[in-house]
Amino acid sequence: MLKTLLDGAVMMAYLACALFFLRFYLQSKDRLFALFSLAFTLMGLHNVLGTVVGPDLDTERIHYLFVVRLVAYLLILGAIWDKNRAGRKPR
Amino acid sequence: MAEVVYILCALTSAACAVLLLRAWRRTRMKLLLYSGLCFSVLTVNNVLLFVDLVLIPAGDLSLARTLASLAGGSVLLFGLIWDVS
Repeated sequence: MLKTLLDGAVMMAYLACALFFLRFYLQSKDRLFALFSLAFTLMGLHNVLGTVVGPDLDTERIHYLFVVRLVAYLLILGAIWDKNRAGRKPR
Repeated sequence: MAEVVYILCALTSAACAVLLLRAWRRTRMKLLLYSGLCFSVLTVNNVLLFVDLVLIPAGDLSLARTLASLAGGSVLLFGLIWDVS
């Protein structure tokens, strides 16, 4: 019960962060913020899936859920790489 | 396969934390600091995940993992509301 409550809080925190980043993207049109927003939405989604679908998955397949989390982290890395690359371009 | 996913989760989150904190040291942008701190805590979460599901499968660290996730999300959300907006 407590864990489900905390999982809901985690999901809300990630989705709220995603909304902030979406707002920054709309204000600045910087792709970094769009990718951050997408990544945090995926992290929130992973949390929902972990709570709703996770208990029904056996231990052999539970790691499939964590691929969503991995994709979110790769998006963040991609966003930072993209930003650094843009910063190095000659003006 | 499962171990690879968990290890990659830990490595990528650690890489995110390092890159974001390095960028913060360079630019002193608060958003980068809070994002870096968030990913540092998420790295702890992913290490706990590996320990929980691979090293000690008989134990149950799910509450500790959720608390670490909540701490990471809360740090970033606090920063976004208090310092950045």
